[in-house]
Amino acid sequence: MSKDKIGSVMVVGGGIGGIQSALDLANAGFLVHLVEKSPAIGGIMSALDKTFPTNDCSMCILSPKLVEVGMHKNIHLLTLSEVESLEGEAGNFKVTVREHPRYIDVTKCIACGKCAEKCPRKVEDEYNQGLSRRKAVHVPYPQAVPLKYAIDKDHCIYFEKGKCRACEKFCPADAIDFDQKEKIYMLEVGSVIVAPGFRCYNPSGTDRYGYGRLPNVVTSMEFERILSASGPFEGHLVRPSDHKKPDKIAWLQCIGSRDIREDSHGYCSGVCCMYAIKEALVAKEHAGGKLDTAIFFMDMRTHGKGFEQTYNRAKDKEGVRFIRSRVHTIEPASDTGDLSVMYVTEDGQMITETFDMVVLSVGLEISDEIKALADKLGIETDSDRFALAGGFAPVATSKPGVYVCGAFAGPKDIPQSVMEASAASAAAAALLSSVRNTLTTEKTYPSEIPVLGEKPRIGVFVCHCGTNIGGIVDVPSVKEYAATLPNVVFAADNLFTCSQDTQEIIRQKIRENHLNRVIVAACTPRTHEPLFRETIQEAGLNPYLFEFANIRDQNSWVHQQEPEAATRKAKDLIRMAAAKASLLEAIEPLKIEVNPNALVIGGGVAGMSAALNLADQGFKTFLIERESQLGGNALHIRQTWNGHNVGAFVGELKKSVESHKNIEVLSGTEIAAIDGFVGNFTSTVQTGDVRREIQHGAVILATGGRASEPDEYLYGKSSRVMKWHELDYLFEKEPDKLEKATGVAFIQCVGSREPDHPYCSKVCCTASVQSAIRLKEKKPYLRVYILYRDMRTFGQREELYRKAREMGVIFIRYSVNEKPMVEKDGEDGLLITVRDHVLGRQIRIPADYLNLATAILPTEGQKQIAQMLKVPINDEGFYLEAHIKLRPVDFSTDGVFVCGLCHYPKPIEEAIAQAQAAAARTAGLLMKKTIDIEPIVSVVDEKKCIGCGLCELSCSFSAIRLKKVVGKGYRAENYSALCKGCGVCAAACPQHAIDMKHFREVQIRAAIHAGCTECADPVREAA
Amino acid sequence: MSDFKPKILAFLCNWCSYAGADLAGVSRIQYPPSIRVVRTMCSGRVDPLFVIQALQDGFDGVFIGGCHIGDCHYQDGNLYTLHRMDMVAHLLDISGIGRDRVHLRWASAAEAQPFADHVTEITDVITKLGPFDKTTHELPLAALARALATRRLRWLVGIDRHISEEENVYLEKTDPEHFKKVLQEAVSAEYHKGLIQELITRGPVTVREMSEKTGLPVHTISLRLNDLERSGVAELDSCEERTPKFVASAA
Repeated sequence: MSKDKIGSVMVVGGGIGGIQSALDLANAGFLVHLVEKSPAIGGIMSALDKTFPTNDCSMCILSPKLVEVGMHKNIHLLTLSEVESLEGEAGNFKVTVREHPRYIDVTKCIACGKCAEKCPRKVEDEYNQGLSRRKAVHVPYPQAVPLKYAIDKDHCIYFEKGKCRACEKFCPADAIDFDQKEKIYMLEVGSVIVAPGFRCYNPSGTDRYGYGRLPNVVTSMEFERILSASGPFEGHLVRPSDHKKPDKIAWLQCIGSRDIREDSHGYCSGVCCMYAIKEALVAKEHAGGKLDTAIFFMDMRTHGKGFEQTYNRAKDKEGVRFIRSRVHTIEPASDTGDLSVMYVTEDGQMITETFDMVVLSVGLEISDEIKALADKLGIETDSDRFALAGGFAPVATSKPGVYVCGAFAGPKDIPQSVMEASAASAAAAALLSSVRNTLTTEKTYPSEIPVLGEKPRIGVFVCHCGTNIGGIVDVPSVKEYAATLPNVVFAADNLFTCSQDTQEIIRQKIRENHLNRVIVAACTPRTHEPLFRETIQEAGLNPYLFEFANIRDQNSWVHQQEPEAATRKAKDLIRMAAAKASLLEAIEPLKIEVNPNALVIGGGVAGMSAALNLADQGFKTFLIERESQLGGNALHIRQTWNGHNVGAFVGELKKSVESHKNIEVLSGTEIAAIDGFVGNFTSTVQTGDVRREIQHGAVILATGGRASEPDEYLYGKSSRVMKWHELDYLFEKEPDKLEKATGVAFIQCVGSREPDHPYCSKVCCTASVQSAIRLKEKKPYLRVYILYRDMRTFGQREELYRKAREMGVIFIRYSVNEKPMVEKDGEDGLLITVRDHVLGRQIRIPADYLNLATAILPTEGQKQIAQMLKVPINDEGFYLEAHIKLRPVDFSTDGVFVCGLCHYPKPIEEAIAQAQAAAARTAGLLMKKTIDIEPIVSVVDEKKCIGCGLCELSCSFSAIRLKKVVGKGYRAENYSALCKGCGVCAAACPQHAIDMKHFREVQIRAAIHAGCTECADPVREAA
Repeated sequence: MSDFKPKILAFLCNWCSYAGADLAGVSRIQYPPSIRVVRTMCSGRVDPLFVIQALQDGFDGVFIGGCHIGDCHYQDGNLYTLHRMDMVAHLLDISGIGRDRVHLRWASAAEAQPFADHVTEITDVITKLGPFDKTTHELPLAALARALATRRLRWLVGIDRHISEEENVYLEKTDPEHFKKVLQEAVSAEYHKGLIQELITRGPVTVREMSEKTGLPVHTISLRLNDLERSGVAELDSCEERTPKFVASAA
C-alpha cells in the first residue's frame, strides 16, 4: 500500500443494507459516513407494511436500527447527499459528496410539524406511492431518522414565485433557512460500500395491465402502503377509485420480470412470490377472513427458509387461491371500477373473472440514477445493470476496496441483503484492520440518578404500533387506566414507541416528571428491551429500572377477534408490570474480559470463508473439520450458477486457510464439549485419541449439510439412477456412456417440499438446469428432460432456464399428488411415466439415465452441537437464527453465530456471503477487550444461609459455591461472572437465603398479586 | 356451557416458552385471552410458593412453560421444575384442590402452534373445573404454602436428582421409586403439619376441632402435633374440662 490506510468507511445508501453495514462497521471500530440521497434513511423497507414470512411489522423491526444509527457516535449521517466522485485506491480513497440544502436548520428543528401544517402547497407523497398528498415541507414518514423536516425545493411556492415563506413565519424554533446552499464535502475513507438498493419496475410504460388508466390496478408497493397503518387510508383496506372495501383481489406475478419484451426484464426478481403471499395473507387479516384472494403465477418460487411452509399455509389453511396462469390483459368490467381478468386454467379452460382490485407484483430494477452512481464510482455492471460481483467474493466489486450489498448486486430479499451488508462490512474491516479504532470515539452516558430510597415515580408509554396494537386494543383507555395505577405519575400513548422521536420524548418525560421507573407496553422485550434500556440510560436512569408489558406479540396479535378481552388483558399486564416496576432496583454493570480467539466448526466453504476473514481481520481462529480434509460439499461441485470454477476456488481457499498465520486447522477432529459463555468459551476437541482444550471468545457454526438418500425412483436399485453430481461424474469418467446415451432425465424435489422435508432445497433447480445445459452442449441431439414441480431458477438464474429451453431441454411439470413412475426398461434402460401438463395426458419417456435432485438435510451431529451450545434448531433440523429477517447470522445466545448449509440450503456464493457476515458479527464482539454481561445474577443473604450446599449442587455453571467462613462453617458465595441468572438456586434454597437480581421474590410476588387483585373479568365482577 | 372465562397465571421462561408465545403472535395463531404472563429467565426460577400464591390471590389456574427436556438454556433448570411441579401436583391432590389447577408444559422457541395449543387445552381444562374459590380453599392453601416453605421438602425435592441420578459419597445411587415414596411421605407429613400449624396460629384449638376442620383422623393429628411440639412449634395452651387446647409457640 503506497499510502497510509484510513480507519473510516463510506456507506452509500441508507436502506436496510446500508444501515446494517454502517452499524457493523461502527460497532467494530470504524468511523462511518453514511450517505443517503433522500431526507431520511430507511429505504424501501421503511415503506413496507409487513415482512414475509413472519408477517412482522416492517417498521417495528427496522425502527430500532434506525434509532441506533441516529444515535451512534461513530456514524456520520449525510442525508440529501450524493456521491460525486471517487479517487484513490483501496485503503485510501477521497470521496466528493454533494449535500443538497434542506432549507431547515437541523440543529433547531424540533419536528413539531407546524411548517407542514401551514405550508399551502400540496404535492404527491412519494412515501405513500402517490396515493396521498403531502406538503412541500415534509418529513418522509413519522419514524424517519433524522426526524427533521425538509423543504422540497421543486415544489416550494417561495422557490417558484419568490414569495410565501409561511413556514418561516410559523416555525416556533426559527429553523427555516432559505439561504442554505449546497455543500461539497471531501471525505477521506479507507473503503466504500455501495448499497443503493433498487427501484420498483414501473408498469405505466405498458398498457397491457391498464396501470395508470384503471385506478384499481395498483402496484404491489402501492398495496403495501394501502395496508399500512401509516398509509394513505390509515390501514383500512379500500380500493383507490371509490374507497370501497374490496371483496376480491387478484395478484399478477412477474410484472416486469421473467419477460423478455423490450420494456421488461428477463430475470426473476426473486422476492415477488413471497410478498404477494404476504400481501394476500395480510389483506385477508384486515378484511376479517371474508376476502377472496387469487395469485396468478407461473412458478411459485418460495425457496427460502420458512417460505414454502408459509406458501402451504396460505394455500391450504388460509384459502388464498393460487392460479397457474399468466394473465396478459386487464379490462374494466363495467364503469364501477371493477376489473375483468381473463385467464386460461391448467386444463385449458378460458375463464373471465371479475375482481375489485388487481395488484401488479412488480419486479426490481436498477434505475438510471444508480447506474450513474456506479459509473461515478468506477464499478462495472452487467447487462441487467446489476453490479458485477466477484464469483466467490460476493460483495467485492470490480474495483478493489469498493464493496457492494443488497439488491444492487442482483435481486434479493431483506435477509440476504442484511447478510451481504454484514459481509461487505467484514470485507472492509479486513482491509482496514490495521487502522481499527483510529477515528472512533466511545459512547458515554450521563451519571446515574440515584433511586435508592426514593419513592417510585413510574412513567408508562403505551404503544399503538400503528394498528398492530391500536387496531385491537383500546390504547387510549389503557393509557387512562395506567395513569390511575399506584406509583404511576405519567402515562402516554405513542403511534410507534420505538421511533427515534419517541426516544427523545421518553427522555424528556423522564426529566420533566422526575420519573425513576419506566414501563413500555408494546411488542415484546425480546426484541425491544435493549432499545428502551438504552434510552432511559441516556436520561440518567439505570437501565434495569425498565419494565416491559408485552401487549402485542402475546396479546393484540393472538386475540384479534376479542378486542375487549385483549384490552382487559393489556390493562392487567400493565398493572402487573407497574407492581414489579415499583420494586425494581438499579443494578451495577458487570464487565468480563473477552478472549479474542474464534472457533469455527466445519471446514467447508462457509467455515473456511469465515475463518479466513476473521484471520485477515487479525483474530486467531481455530477451524475444526470432522473429515480428514477441508472443503466439505464444495469438493463435489463443478461450477457456480454463473459459471465460476468451484474446484479451483476451493483449492485456493484451502491453501490460503492452511497457510494463514492466524488460522489453526484441526482436521479429523470432532467437538467433544463446549463450555462457557460469550467471550469465554472452552471447547474440548478430539483428534483421534487426543483430546485438547481450546479457549475462545466466540463460535461460528458452519457444520454444513448433506444430500438425502432417496428410497424412490429405483435409486439404489438401478445403476442408471443417480443423484446430484453423480451423473456428471459418470460422464466425465466414462465419456463413452454419454456417447451411447440417447435420453437423460432429471427429477426435481425428490424428498423436498414433501411432508418429511416441507422446505424447498433452493439450489436443485439451478443445478439440474445447469447439468442439462452441459449435456446439451456436449451432445446437442441428446434428449434431456427435467421433471419439476415449480422451476425455481430465482434471480438472474432465470437466464439459465431460458437458455435450457432454447437448447431444447424438455421441461415437464408434475404434481406431487401424481409423481412420475420409474421402471426398468430391459437391461439398461429406464422408462419414466409422467403426466404432461401441456398435453394433459400420461406420457412415457425412455431414458438411459435418471438423476435425482434430492433434498438437502442438515448434517449428522448438528443437534448435539446445538444442545452443547443451547442454541435452537427448527423443525427441519436447521439452526434457528435470532431473527429470520434482520439477524440472519446471530443466535439469541450471545457469542454464537451461524453460516452456510446448516442454516438452510443455499448456493455457494450465498454461503460465502453469510460466512463473511458471521465473521463480521464475530469480529464486532472479539475486538472488544471487555463486554458488559447481563448483571442479573443471584445474591446470597449470608445471615439466612446455613451452608447446606443445595445451591452448589443445583448450579450447572459452578456460579454459586460454598466457602469457609471463620466461626460459621460454610456459607454460599456467588461468582457473578459465571452466573447465568436462571434462578434455579433461588427457587431451591431451603432457607430462602438466595434471591435473583431483577427477578426478586418480592418483585415476582408483587406482579402475581397485581395480576389478580382486581379481576377485570365481567363474569366475576357480576358475581 | 357457562360463560366462565378463567384467568390463568403463566410463568414463561425467556428462552423457549416466552419466545414460542411471541412466535405465536408473529404467526397470528389465536388462543384464548386467559393467561397473564410473568416472564422468568428459566422455569427453574419458579418457586412452588409462587404457584400457591397465584391460587391464593385468586387465579383460576397456573401454567408453567419451560424448554423441552434437554433444550434448557441453562442446561437442566427445567428438570428441577419438573421435580418441583410433580411435588406441587401431589400436594394439590392431597389437599383436595386437585392437580388440574396447575399445568407444566414444554414449548420451544419455534413451537408457536404447540404453545397456543397448550394455552387452549389448559384453558379448557380449567374452564371445566370452574372458577377457583380461594376462600373455601383458604386453609389448605395456607397449609400448602407452609409445607412448601419447609426446609425438609425444599431439601428433598432439590436433592432428588443428585441422589437418584448420581452416586453419593458412598458410591450408592438411590432407587428413584424408593425416593419417590420417601418424598411422598414427607409431603403428606409436612402438609398435615402445615394444616395444624395454621390452625394453632389462629388460636387455641382442640385435636378434635382440628380433625373436623381438616378432615384428618384424630390419630394423624395427634401424631403430627407431637412432631410440632417436639420441634417447639406447638404447645399446650389450656385445658377445657379435660380436653387440651393447643396454640403456636411464641417465636
